[in-house]
Formats: sequence, C-alpha cells, structure tokens
Amino acid sequence: MLYTGKYPVIDMDILSPNYRLNEAYDELIDENRQPRPAAKPLFDYLAGLDASVLEVRRKAVEAAIMTMGISFTVYSDAGNIDRAWPFDIVPRIIPLTEWQRIEAGLKQRLQALNLFINDLYNEQRIVKDGVFPIEVLEGSKNFREQCRGITPRFGVWAHICGTDLVRDKDGTVYVLEDNLRVPSGVSYMLENRQLMKRLFPEMFQSCSILPVDDYPTQLYDALAALSPSDDDRPVIAVLTPGIYNSAYFEHSYLAQQMGAFLVEGSDLMVNDDDVVHMKTISGLRRVDVIYRRIDDDFLDPEAFRPDSTLGVPGLMRAWRNGKVGIANAPGAGVADDKVVYAFVPEIIRYYLKEEPILPNVPSYLCMYEDQRDYVLANLDKLVVKPANESGGYGMLIGPRATQAERDTFAELIRENPRNYMAQPTLDISTAPTLFDERLEPRHLDLRPFVLQSNKLYVTTGGLTRVAMKEGSLVVNSSQGGGSKDTWIVDMEGH
Amino acid sequence: MLSRVAESLYWMTRYLERAENTARLINSSTQVLLDLPKGAHFGWDVLISVAGLQDQVKKRGIKLDEASIMRFLIEDEENPSSILSSIQFARENTRTFREVLPMEIWERINGMYLYIRQSAKKATRGRGERYEVLNGVIERRQSIVGLLMGSMSHDIAYQFLKLGRNLERADMTTRIVDVNSAVVLPTDPVLAVPAMERLWMSTLNALSAYQMYRCHVGVHVRAHDVVQFLLKDPHFPRTVHHCLDEIEGCLSVLPSNQEAMRAARHAWRRLDRMNLNGLAPVVLHEYLDQVQADLGAIHDAVSRHYFYLHHTPATASGDNQ
Repeated sequence: MLYTGKYPVIDMDILSPNYRLNEAYDELIDENRQPRPAAKPLFDYLAGLDASVLEVRRKAVEAAIMTMGISFTVYSDAGNIDRAWPFDIVPRIIPLTEWQRIEAGLKQRLQALNLFINDLYNEQRIVKDGVFPIEVLEGSKNFREQCRGITPRFGVWAHICGTDLVRDKDGTVYVLEDNLRVPSGVSYMLENRQLMKRLFPEMFQSCSILPVDDYPTQLYDALAALSPSDDDRPVIAVLTPGIYNSAYFEHSYLAQQMGAFLVEGSDLMVNDDDVVHMKTISGLRRVDVIYRRIDDDFLDPEAFRPDSTLGVPGLMRAWRNGKVGIANAPGAGVADDKVVYAFVPEIIRYYLKEEPILPNVPSYLCMYEDQRDYVLANLDKLVVKPANESGGYGMLIGPRATQAERDTFAELIRENPRNYMAQPTLDISTAPTLFDERLEPRHLDLRPFVLQSNKLYVTTGGLTRVAMKEGSLVVNSSQGGGSKDTWIVDMEGH
Repeated sequence: MLSRVAESLYWMTRYLERAENTARLINSSTQVLLDLPKGAHFGWDVLISVAGLQDQVKKRGIKLDEASIMRFLIEDEENPSSILSSIQFARENTRTFREVLPMEIWERINGMYLYIRQSAKKATRGRGERYEVLNGVIERRQSIVGLLMGSMSHDIAYQFLKLGRNLERADMTTRIVDVNSAVVLPTDPVLAVPAMERLWMSTLNALSAYQMYRCHVGVHVRAHDVVQFLLKDPHFPRTVHHCLDEIEGCLSVLPSNQEAMRAARHAWRRLDRMNLNGLAPVVLHEYLDQVQADLGAIHDAVSRHYFYLHHTPATASGDNQ
C-alpha cells in the first residue's frame, strides 16, 4: 500500500513481517500470519480503507475522548490526576460460538459462588462436609461476622461480578479472578462501543457484531428486583465515594444511564425506623435499593470502620431488617479472595453437581506446606498474589523480578502463608494494537460482567484491557493499561 | 432532587455566569480605555473593586498595572473568581451531577475548560489576543445556555440552574454599571459630555444591550436612561428587573418557597421605589450596593431552604417527606 497524501501512513498490513508474532496466542492472527476467520472482515475492511480517512477518524475519536471526559483518576504522590482513557482502535474479536460456551461458564461460576457465600453466612455445610477448609475461612479478611444468619433476597450476595479471563498460548480461556466487591470498567465497555461506531461505522452495517448496550437496562432490572417496596418504579441510588474515586466517571455514567440517583454517603441517612432516606430539596425521600460502589469497610461506621466518613451510619441495620436492598450485599467479598479462588472448581462441583465449564489457572496455596515449598523453590517462574489485593497491587511477577524482590516476597510468604497464592506465569494472548502508525502485539485480558438477581445475565463480551507497554502483562488501568472494543461476531447468522 | 445536587447546579451556573461576565467586563473596559479623551483617567484597578476583590489583591501584593490585573482576573488559579478558576469550579461541580444533565452539557463545559486552559496565557499577552480569547469564552458559555434551554427538561434541576444564573447575572449587572462611577472625566464639559456618552455606550456593549437600548429607549445614550434601562427594563434579559422576574418564576415552582419568595419581593419593592433620575454617582453607588445586598438575601434564603439538609449531619433525624 502506498499513500502519498499529507497524512501519515498507518501500516495496517498486519500480514507483513512488521507485525511480530511471539509465542503467545494472537486473538486476530493465526500462526500462518493469516487473519482468524472472525477477524477476516475487519482486515478486508482496513485494507480497503484510505489511510487519510482512518487518520481523520482516529483524530476525531481522540478529540471525543477528551471532550466526553472519559477519564479515570490515578492516585500518586504528585496529587490525583485525571487521565484520558487510552483506547485502541483495533477491536478484539471473538466468534459467537466460542462466546456462548464462555457465557455459560460465567453463569455457572457466579451461581455457585452465590450458593457458597450464602452457605458460609448460614449453615456452613461446605466446611462441615470437609470440602472447604475452616482455616481459609478463619483467615479471611472479607468474611463479615455482621452478616451471619442473613439470607438476602434470592439467596444472592454478589449481584454484579466482573470476572477476569485470560487466554493461554494453547488457546484455552482461563478464569484469572472473580471480582465480587465493587468491580469497575463496564462504562468503558459501553463507551468503547460508542467510539468504535464513530470510527468504523461501515463495519457495523456489514458484519454481525452483537450489541452491548442493554447492560444499563439489565442492571436496572437486577437492582429493581431487590426493592423491598411494591412500587414498580423503586428509588434506586448509586452510592459513590465521590469525585476523587478512580471510578467516579463510571458511577455517574451508570446512574445517568439507569435514571438512578447518584448519591454520596452524606446524602443519605437512616432513621430510627431503619428506613434509608436521601436528603432532597423537599425533605427526606425513601431509598429502596442502593448500588454501592464503596467497600464494606467504609459502608457503615456503626457496623464497620467507625472512622469512615464515606458511608452511612445505620445502613447495615436497614439492610438486615429488609428495609433496603444493597448490591453487592455486604460481606459478598468473602468469595473475592485469591485463596478462595483456588477452591472454586470444587465449589462448583459441590453445589451444582456439575463440572466447571471454565478452568481455573493452576494455583499453589502457600498455606499448605508442600505447595508452599514448591512456591518458594520456584519463585522465579511464578506469579505470587496476595489474597485480598486488587488492581494489580502487591504482586510479584517472578520471572521479571530481581533476586532482592524475590527474597522479600519469600519472607512475606513465610510470615503469612494464608495470605499468598502462586500461579505459573501464563503466556497470555495478544492482539494487534496501534502505536505510532504501526501495529504491534500487546497482551490483553477480558472482563465480562455477570449479573445475578432474579435472573442471570452476562454482558456481550466485556471490557478488553490491554497492556500498553511492550511485553507487559499488567493490564490494570491504574497501572497504565488501555482498552479495546470487544466484538462478539455471529458468523453463522451472517 | 438531592440537596447536594441542587446546590452544585446552582453554583455551576453562577460560576459560568461569573466567567462570562468577567470576560464581558474586561472587553468593554478595554473599549472604554480606547475611546477616552485626553485628560480623562481610567484605572484598571476599578475592575478589581467591581469584582469585590480589593482585599485579596492587597494581601497578595498584586500590582495594579494592566498586565498584572489581567493575569489576576483571567488566569490566576489562586483567585477563586478568575475566569479560569470559575470555569474550573463549574467543571468540577458538573462532574458531581453529570447524571442529571444532558450528556452534551458536560462535553461543552469540559470543552470550555480545555479551551481556557489552553488559551489563558495567550489572553494575557496583548489586547488583541485578549479580546479574541475572551470572546471565545462568551461564545462557548452562550452555546451552553442555548443547549440547556433546548435540550433539558424544564424540571427542578433546571430551576436551580436558572436561579443561579439570574442571581449572578443581576449582581454582575449592578457591578458593571458601577464601573463608571470610578472614571474621572475631564472638567471641560465640551469634552466631558461626549466622553460620558461613550462610557455608557460601552457599558451597554458589555452587556450586549446597546442595540436593544436603541430600539426601546432611543439613540441618545444618557446616564440616567442607561441606568434606568439596565436596572428596571422588564424585557431585556440582563436587567435587574428581568432577572428578578426569572428568579421569582423559579422560586414559584419550588417547594417550601415562602422565605425566598419574601426576599425576592423585598428586592422588587426596593428596586421599584428607587428614583434613578439625576442621581449623583455616589448615590447611585449606594443604590447599587443595596440591590446587591437584596440579592444576597435571596441567596441566603435559597441556601437555607434547599441546601441546608446537605449540611446536616447524617445522625440528625428529620421529618419524613
């Protein structure tokens, strides 16, 4: 391809040797440098697209990101800064047939996890039956005594789950972790699709790309089903820690999309009758359901951390007495623990009497002596994760770490073995990503969002996060990751 | 409507209105300066006192030359009333209630912020560039007002936007009228009369009111006619009279509005009674102060009745509905 205009030429010719394929599985290109079947229409389209047109649209999308203020906040010593959301214009593509299996696996997993959480706060059958060790439960930071004996509506604790998936070099999709506390990113999934439609509108006409935009409606229905009142338009509030939270953009976005109130802790109060009210210009108004985006610890200073100024005193009381629905339920985080994670396949077999559809990444639990010895002997080959951190903080990536870092971690593991687990470093998959007019492979993962309330729902695809640094495996936005639009393509219905 | 959100909406439009009016004030003062005859004197520091920022300027030791004052009014982030700060506050406020506004409003406000961030330096470089940049601010702000009118339901949220806008606007109109009281004119009446006329013409221009004044009052620009027009004309949207009308309209659809309505009517009656013919500048200045105090009283009543819950600690038990 030769362009002579004033626009820089973007080298979209992926099949040229410029695009290096390494050991990892590439989502769009096979080992013979041919587009995978689901990606074929995209490459045909790009090959026929004038580079100047592409450049103009790319600029327009960049400007749109700035003015739409799609941003997230990065915490640093230099103060909090708002960063524009890094969006890559090359989509990640998954055929529908493959996706349907993943979707079934995600539903299975969340169902089992909810049965598990409900069991832990009630009879604890799984412990008594010797399937789940009592030591793990006792060492859990996220198990809340305050929740004992409660069964929320539908027996569901985690209503919104963000499950991280990765693909290894043989093409197998693994579950990397289940985010059951306050998973974020879904707004970026929705915004990415809006941007993509501006960028490649023709693709959406000629190709069966399944839509993603019913998520806010599905979320609304899932939340409305938790309302204690019979009113068919319950008052739903999204509870945010405020504008300094890194996901504030998303809180506001979802409230807007659902027609819900966006509230901060100080906007709410619980009266002696245990009813939750918001402070409005005409006095107090009852709130039926709260979609909280605040961690348990800060939710209610009466029940949890007394120094929390973000929460609402009395909220736990109101919830326990059935006066308000809360999603995710307080205490749901007990299953969002990297040690508990290792037991999920067993949890699925125990409650559902089914084989897990999606495999876990093999995991070594440092609480068991034999596994710990293996981990300590193989720190240079493993990724070590603390049980209760999120966002990629506090991890050791063995092969990339220095000897000193590995020694520090060995010490940490010996001091508190329950708090650590290790996994082999996966060669996670890549997809072509645009950098300075050329495409380069970058590692990525996928976070679909799963809803469970009176019914189960999985987003069509999810948020694809991509490590922007060459060779990097860390995709978290807080660590400099970016994102791509995710296309589920129906190849048969076409 | 949440009390916190109502308060943020209200301040958001106040900040935007303030940014626009400051831009207008600077542009029209620059025009005044160009038109003044020899022997007349205009000090830039009058803009500081119009904006009520004397104390801050004195405390921070800001020089009173044109360049320093422009930096202070346009891009100084330590000055909470500078154009840049006002727009930044408006943007920060908007972030807290994006869910009640049409999506494009946020995009426009964010765009306006990015614009002033990028061009504030340029605006302090020279008069020509300053004029251009400040006009850009006015245009962007106007497009936001237009978008709000055309794309937002005239619901309770809208009333708070309108309330903030009109209170700030009425206040700024009185301040802009007050600028002229600080101009020292030549003693020779042959020079002074036309100078006076040009002065008031520029006041009208600052408020985009010159043409409407000519249509509805006349071609001659006389001090008391202009003051009369800018304070008491019921139809021009930047007059105190018109703003009070709008304020009353907003209040009338809000719940528990008695006290705020009372304050608005009080402001009305006082304005009505003011005889503006043949006023000495000192008396006019005093009148304008009174109007500003009355507007302040409306603000106090609004904030007591609609924003107070937000400032109440969560443990207090309030009345239901």
